[in-house]
Amino acid sequence: MLGLILRRLLQLPVIILVIYTITLTLSWAIPGNPLEKPEGRQPSAEVIEAMKRQYKLDSFPAFYTSYLKSATGIDYLNDTLSGKRARDREQAEAVGVAAPTTYVFNLGPSLQYNDWNVNEIVSDALPVSVVLGLTAILIALVIGITAGVVGAVKPNSAADFATLMVALIGISLPSFVVGTMLLLLFAVIFPIFPVGGWGTLSGLVLPATTLSLPFAAYIARLTRMGMIDALSADYIRTARAKGLGEMTVLLKHALKNAFLPVLSYLGPATAYAMTGSFVIEKVFSIPGLGQHFVNGVLNKDLFLIMGVVLIFATMLVLFNLAVDVLYRWVDPRIS
Amino acid sequence: MLKLIVPFVLLFAAIFAVVASDQPDPPADFTFINRGDVTTLDPQRMSWMQDLRVARLLFEPLVRLDVMTTDYQIVPGVAERWEVSEDFKEYTFHLRQDAKWSNGEPVTAQQFVYSWKRALLPETAADYTALFQIIDGAKDFFEWRSEQTRQYSIRARNLTTEEKRIESQKLWDEASAYFDENVALRAVDDHTLTMSLDASTPYWLDLCSFIVFAPVYEPLVSQYEQIDPDTGMVRLQLGWTKPPLMISNGPFVLENWRFKRGLFLRSNPQWWAKDTLDIETIAIPSVEDSNSQVLAFESGAVQWVSDVNADYRIQMLADKQAFYDENREQYEKLKAEGLDQFAIDAALPDDPRKNVHALSAFGTYWYNFNCKPTLADGRENPFHDARVRRAFAMCIDKQRICDDVMRIGTPVARNMFPPGAIAGYTSPKGLKCISDANTPAEKQAIIDEAKALLKEAGYPNPAEMPRIELLFNSDGGHGLVAQQLAKDWEEFLGVRTFLAQKEIKVYKDDLKKQNFMTGRAGWFADYADPTTFLDLNRTGDGNNDRAYSSPVYDGLLDQAKAETDPEKRMALLTEAERIIMEEDLPLVPLYYYVNIYLFDPDEITGISNHPRLQQDLFNIDVLGDGKGRDEIKHIRNKDLN
Repeated sequence: MLGLILRRLLQLPVIILVIYTITLTLSWAIPGNPLEKPEGRQPSAEVIEAMKRQYKLDSFPAFYTSYLKSATGIDYLNDTLSGKRARDREQAEAVGVAAPTTYVFNLGPSLQYNDWNVNEIVSDALPVSVVLGLTAILIALVIGITAGVVGAVKPNSAADFATLMVALIGISLPSFVVGTMLLLLFAVIFPIFPVGGWGTLSGLVLPATTLSLPFAAYIARLTRMGMIDALSADYIRTARAKGLGEMTVLLKHALKNAFLPVLSYLGPATAYAMTGSFVIEKVFSIPGLGQHFVNGVLNKDLFLIMGVVLIFATMLVLFNLAVDVLYRWVDPRIS
Repeated sequence: MLKLIVPFVLLFAAIFAVVASDQPDPPADFTFINRGDVTTLDPQRMSWMQDLRVARLLFEPLVRLDVMTTDYQIVPGVAERWEVSEDFKEYTFHLRQDAKWSNGEPVTAQQFVYSWKRALLPETAADYTALFQIIDGAKDFFEWRSEQTRQYSIRARNLTTEEKRIESQKLWDEASAYFDENVALRAVDDHTLTMSLDASTPYWLDLCSFIVFAPVYEPLVSQYEQIDPDTGMVRLQLGWTKPPLMISNGPFVLENWRFKRGLFLRSNPQWWAKDTLDIETIAIPSVEDSNSQVLAFESGAVQWVSDVNADYRIQMLADKQAFYDENREQYEKLKAEGLDQFAIDAALPDDPRKNVHALSAFGTYWYNFNCKPTLADGRENPFHDARVRRAFAMCIDKQRICDDVMRIGTPVARNMFPPGAIAGYTSPKGLKCISDANTPAEKQAIIDEAKALLKEAGYPNPAEMPRIELLFNSDGGHGLVAQQLAKDWEEFLGVRTFLAQKEIKVYKDDLKKQNFMTGRAGWFADYADPTTFLDLNRTGDGNNDRAYSSPVYDGLLDQAKAETDPEKRMALLTEAERIIMEEDLPLVPLYYYVNIYLFDPDEITGISNHPRLQQDLFNIDVLGDGKGRDEIKHIRNKDLN
């Protein structure tokens, strides 16, 4: 187990570097000028030229290395060793103001949101996305496993068809429809939950539920299949023969095996729930990370694209590692 | 099984902890949804309407426009009085003694010089730097500085780190000296600011009221400016625009600003006119989805939606019309009394249908024609010929686009900007188009005239013309207009058309590089002078995507610039607009924009219905909340004053 963890952690920098290179090459190739706005007033040619020089947007190799240096903390290390940071701090103290914040891993400024840098954007948005994604997965697990078990106990019964139908709807209906309907129903007609925004538990219910539905549907189908398989296995007959209660047989013996495919689905599902919430973020006005993937690309905001991709890639690697560890812990047959 | 539940229970606890530690803002006196997310609160660097709107609450320029008057009267801001020379070239402002920053320090003339100088540095990337270049010597300074840093960045490659540090500082000192010597902007003393302009500019006061001309607090902002030793440019560090650091001089101060969540503002106890405020706090939550914006209003979470874009706004406006029809008699009576549209709504019976408001806006939706002889890929461009542009412009049923496609009451446009929006200016008649025809015979006459123009231009058979490409961006519902336009040209002229729908960045890039035949565009006015639109067609203007170049047109604009008599100046500008709208047609206007607000006129007062859409939200009063005067604020007409 320890070997696995160590091996994966050593692979991490290589994976990140590959992702960085590919993403930057693709983003660089997006047509258009990142310094231009989609609408309205455009900066003059002199301004664009000056900005390109300042951000090193005039040369791919220069941008590639300078961003890599600042994002990996090499710049910070250099500044600390050369005494530049100490000098800046002294200067600021001398006039009595706080020195501008410096970041170890500096992901750069956002080209579209002039007053924000990518570090601030990510540190604001990441917890939101993580919480929303995890809550959605928790809801999906509860709904999905319940529905799957109910369906598997009596296959082809009315209850089974009902759960399958709900699952089908959950997968098919786009989230902007479900989200807007839930909003209309539970925020406007019956004002139980707030219309949108972030910061309260009640504000989490509607968006997390909307986000969870497709996952719940998939988990329900996985569980149902796994349970039907498991329930026809010999060890279940043995369990029943030795007189165990039906609940014990179902939950302790059958579900334990039926859950394994669900567990391996959880890794990618959680990752997707954390970043694929673009629509839900818009409908419920949630300040999450998903929108920055889309907006970053649309605006060719290079720093933002690279920042969120690097952070997310790191998370994804660590996340898959966690699921692998969990898998081995639950199922000793895998080594 | 227990083994599995443990990690999930832990997860749930973590989620709960994160959410519980995240406190939302308290409820505010007035809550509204802005046009979009605020991108910057640095006055010199902003150009988005949503940024400008918030900055107007936080900062105060020399003068202000009274948005609650129909003619946007100039009223004192930081300056309590001012003198203007007869030729509109010399301006002197006298700053009030009681103008203070939110930390209690006085606002001085030197801070204005510092702020305007920032706007004139190329590295500040101020979108409106051209407006500041009206000051005598400013344009020269801007160009000189661009060249200075460009040369330095080449030279700097061979310098050591220490040399760069010294050299770049020297560069900045030189630039400062150059500015002081050559730019005609002076702080005579702490409270007197003078400037001379390079041309007669009767609308300079209007510009000075524009929030990008507001001052910033030098002792704070200068700490965030560092000279980059590699490029020699001033590099702006982020951070000073965010609370608690932000120091401003306007009616409100910024108490909280969280990215993509919203802003929270509180009245500024240091503001000299604080007694006029009727509310104390303003919240601006970030709600992006257009349906959610309406739902937020209906649930009572917000009191004003400043730009309603939900598809069903067409139905909302139809309902409003039905409401007016039901109350026709009373409506006409109130209108005859001279009440403005919001006061009329407030006086009519209580009804949720009356909460939606359509306002004509000072902006135009149009299609650009590429005026270059060849397209970017070398193909021949039929629109190079003004006769072809005129023929195509005539063969558009603009009324049908407004009535059947837009359906929100946008007026048909015959000019580059709405007639009557600028005092003292007479718009030209504009070119006739299909929707001017009242009978089939008249319609046929227009089509025949257009075909004759095409024949003259060398296209006797329009069906054999190169395929006409219409460029538009995929978002924002421009496709329907493009389809209708293509249909008109196919129907009336018999040409072949092609819809080139592109993603916004590509679309923008194509426009910039003249990689299009005809493409959709539009513009909103920045200030109350025809040049805010007409300058776009000057040869070489940064926003001249049409690559239109006419010595006659440029000459008229130059003449107008040199003219010191305001009346003659306006006449020259009318002639310039006539040339592009009746003869040369580098663009064909389709309709004037309409903006849709959502607020309850019985609850909110102090919102202006002026077409320039500027709102000074410190005028807001929430009726019946027990704070402030709690009475309807009327938009004052010049004649009624």
